[in-house]
Amino acid sequence: MTEEEKKKRGFFQAIKEFVYGMAAHDSYRFAMKTRASMEHLFILITMGDMLGVPILPPYYSLRLLPYVVPQISTWKRRMLREKDFTDGLA
Amino acid sequence: MNSVVVLIIGFFVFFIGYRYYAKYIDAKIIKSDPKRTTPAKMYMDGVEFMPTSKNILFGYQFKSIAGAAPVIGPILAIQWGWLPALLWLLLGAFFIGWVHDYSSAVVAMRNEGASFGGLSYKLISPRARIILLCFVYFFLLLIAGAFGAVVVNAAIDQKSSPVAWLFFTIGGVLAGQMIYRWKKDIILATVVTVAISLFGIWLGSVAPSNNILGEGIANSRLVWAIAALIFCYFAAVLPIWRFALPINYVTSYIVFLGLLLGIIGVFVLHPNFTLPAYTSFDIKIGPLWPIMFVTIGCGAVSGWHSIVSSSGTARQLEYETDARPVGGGVMFVEMMLGVFALVIAGTIYASSSEYTAAIAKGPIDIFASGVGKFLGAVGVPDAFGRAYGSVMLIVLAVTILQLVIRFMRVATSEMLGDISPIFKNVHIGTIIASLLTLALILTGWWQYLWILFGGANQLMASMALMLMTAWLMSQGKPYGWTFYPMIFMFFTTTTALIVTSYRLFKQVCSGAVKGEALVGNILMILVGIFLVIAAIILAVEGIKAFSRYRALRTQPAAAVA
Repeated sequence: MTEEEKKKRGFFQAIKEFVYGMAAHDSYRFAMKTRASMEHLFILITMGDMLGVPILPPYYSLRLLPYVVPQISTWKRRMLREKDFTDGLA
Repeated sequence: MNSVVVLIIGFFVFFIGYRYYAKYIDAKIIKSDPKRTTPAKMYMDGVEFMPTSKNILFGYQFKSIAGAAPVIGPILAIQWGWLPALLWLLLGAFFIGWVHDYSSAVVAMRNEGASFGGLSYKLISPRARIILLCFVYFFLLLIAGAFGAVVVNAAIDQKSSPVAWLFFTIGGVLAGQMIYRWKKDIILATVVTVAISLFGIWLGSVAPSNNILGEGIANSRLVWAIAALIFCYFAAVLPIWRFALPINYVTSYIVFLGLLLGIIGVFVLHPNFTLPAYTSFDIKIGPLWPIMFVTIGCGAVSGWHSIVSSSGTARQLEYETDARPVGGGVMFVEMMLGVFALVIAGTIYASSSEYTAAIAKGPIDIFASGVGKFLGAVGVPDAFGRAYGSVMLIVLAVTILQLVIRFMRVATSEMLGDISPIFKNVHIGTIIASLLTLALILTGWWQYLWILFGGANQLMASMALMLMTAWLMSQGKPYGWTFYPMIFMFFTTTTALIVTSYRLFKQVCSGAVKGEALVGNILMILVGIFLVIAAIILAVEGIKAFSRYRALRTQPAAAVA
């Protein structure tokens, strides 16, 4: 690919990203926030097993545990970070 | 002066401001470093903290900050003459606007993506946080009132717009259903729903609301205010993917297309300004200083941007160096949107008397006529172009309105939820926000409401600049570039709020305000007074914090001496 073609492609890529940012990036962020709130529920369900106190029949929560464990560190950060309602504005 | 010359001057200011001033601040004072880890990378959770391309963030920031204000403000402010309005747009954005947006993003980015509440707690004082959050709530109420009034006025003045409004709502809901439920191709969903919205605009132009509903309903402020708030109610309580987001998605294409064709139209027609460059210092809506400086808000400087920059954008910046194009660059683009609105207002009427007659009816008709004229230059029929212009304005206003109602609901829950659990109910929170907004829309005087909104918006900018100055002082960096804009904005906006509240108070005492108008106007006076008092308390807290930082800076020198 020549230098000019690269530049042209970069320009069109930038336009594409700009339109995406204007039209759809918000939707993506809200989808991610919805997913995060579902993850919070899973963490709540498996919290007993994490602490060593099974609340649900262990079979089910232990099956969920491997999916939840990788999210623990980001979940802790989200929970412990100071928030106010301006967080919801963007 | 020719409109193309004005646009070229605007681009020149954009170029100099962005290329030299912003670059100097970014490189020499902030010392942004692409190798330094941003909160988006350090705390990446794929939800709020997420490294994102600067081009995407550019579009995201533009969509989040561009409401109806950069359009309405210049159209109203041209009553003082187009020259003062143009100068404030250009100089305001150059010295204050971009500084405010950029520094809000930088401070949040350098403080682990903290939001305004956390920043004011850390940089100013614990009391400052509480007052700032109360301030933000009433600021949101004024935004809701002002933008709600824009929607209602547009529905009444432009009879083609309600049908188009209905169709873009249908198109948006369908888009959500097609994309998220039926899992249809996004391009197909976009084409179908944008086509439905365009069809609605055309249908509105041939079947206006008064022909369908009769003059009584078509001209009723109550009907359209309730329609706007029902729209916002759905946006606030329904899952965001079902209503608010897909509608915003579909309508963003309408706005983008309209702006693009409109600017091409200006270059094709290149009309001269027909209105005077300067009229008088003191006009009917108030003196040039301070009232004009709050009438034009977004476009020159706006406090709303600081909330978007700090809570949203700062957590997604991939590199520190992206803060300049995203924070600063987008502000200059919005300045150009304001200049475009000024060109529309200044060139479409043959004389001042025509403009005076038009502005008496409100700015919506002026914008719709202007868009109709400039779209006409690229082959769009006049009736369709006018309908398109009014829909653009409704879209710009209603996008922010539904967002604000949603967050007033969240704020009500957070602030009053501990007093009684009933306030945590989503419906109660939304109804409280809607009723307060309804009172302002139906009973508040439109021009005063707009000025109060502008005053609160700019005062918010001044508060944000105070946080930036405190942070710069705490870091031992030069702070004049945020301090002097803060001082200017603080005195201008508090004076504007005091003047407007006093004028309203005088009208109430003299008996000029009667009946139901008393509710909205007294509410506006109370909100205006509250905002001034809150701002003064915050300023006192800010001065104490500045003294603390200055004392810290002088301590080592004193010890050496």
